[in-house]
Amino acid sequence: MSKTYQKKHELWLGISFASFAISDEEIKSRLYEFSLIAFRHMKWLGTDILAEGGEFNYDRDMMLYKHEDVFQIINALVDEINAIQALYPQTILGERIKTDDAYLLEYLSQVLKDEDKNSKITAFNMQRKWEDKNLPQDQIDALTMFLFEESYKEYELILVYNYMQARTQNVKHFDVFQDLIDESHFHLKSFGNMMAKLGILALPRELHAMTYVVKDLKQFVVDGIAEEEAAKVMCKELSDAIKDEELSKFFDFINFQESYHIELMKKLL
Amino acid sequence: MYEDVEMPEGMNPEVLEHLMSPKNYGKLENPSGVGVALDEKTKEYVIFYILLEQGLLKDVKFATNGCQDTVVIGSMFSDMIINNDLDYASTAITKMHTKLGQLSAQQQICADIVFSSFTASIRNYENKESGADEELHLFKMKDSCEATGQEEQTHE
Repeated sequence: MSKTYQKKHELWLGISFASFAISDEEIKSRLYEFSLIAFRHMKWLGTDILAEGGEFNYDRDMMLYKHEDVFQIINALVDEINAIQALYPQTILGERIKTDDAYLLEYLSQVLKDEDKNSKITAFNMQRKWEDKNLPQDQIDALTMFLFEESYKEYELILVYNYMQARTQNVKHFDVFQDLIDESHFHLKSFGNMMAKLGILALPRELHAMTYVVKDLKQFVVDGIAEEEAAKVMCKELSDAIKDEELSKFFDFINFQESYHIELMKKLL
Repeated sequence: MYEDVEMPEGMNPEVLEHLMSPKNYGKLENPSGVGVALDEKTKEYVIFYILLEQGLLKDVKFATNGCQDTVVIGSMFSDMIINNDLDYASTAITKMHTKLGQLSAQQQICADIVFSSFTASIRNYENKESGADEELHLFKMKDSCEATGQEEQTHE
């Protein structure tokens, strides 16, 4: 089962990052919805593993291939989905996951039939140009560093909260973790799409167990609040540095969300 | 090798490549040595794995929860020392230090935590060779971004 969990984790990332890489809004949106379903699969598989007395981890063995067009990305996803089928458990959950995957495969096959949907992928070209904005190089550099820092942090938070949520018996804590996970999904999506727009889309690096195995919840929350404060400072600095009004407002909006995360985290104390 | 590499502010393509795909990132299953450098204030850590065979660093990996500067430096450094011997690795630290001298104080601290984790992995290897039952060797960085010192502690 832990192998199934790992492959589901990889598939969640695979679908998410396919969504970020593809600029067609309809495909992007559908794939993102499927990625959230895949994340729930992963969560449920984790719950079952723990219920059976097992353990899961966040090891990964995957690359984000720099595909050149939409169909290459979708064909790679199809292969990945087909490869995982044999690993699903013979349970009600396993059956549910298989039917979800079958529907995703059906959707992907429909996309592949429409040549008009096949377009060039620019998410990995490293050009660091925002098409409809003329940002000076120093602002692009600041934005680049911010996106690398924060996309990793959001991924880290999703997995750490997921790890803790799976192990808590406290309903209030469970709800807080869910809110924080949902919020981080939104941030990861936002930053991933921005990275793709700049041509620097990359997988967040793998989490080491030292990061997600939390032994002291109180200390974790205190440290987490300090991290959220640091993220707020980064957002504010970036918002001040970026002279584009639209982007600046976006980072202010993220900044205010980080403020509320601190309030949510305080509920864990 | 990285004489002309500019660090993130300059953001040349080579640095961008390290950001997008860090080299030697992850963990080793059967390492000869494992070292951790920990910044207790920020809880930032770097863990460094080495596989030594006949005096050569046949494989190295590192992982961190730290900032992107730490990732880039870890990626560059690990790429520099892999398939070389320990003497070369020591030289590589000096070379990287020379290069990093041009960086901000915070980036130099990022470099220090990477190098300290590597040094700790060597210490772990030596301790195990001497018969110690040590899972990993830990260096605690004395301060956060302002400090450069370290204290030693072993995990048994």
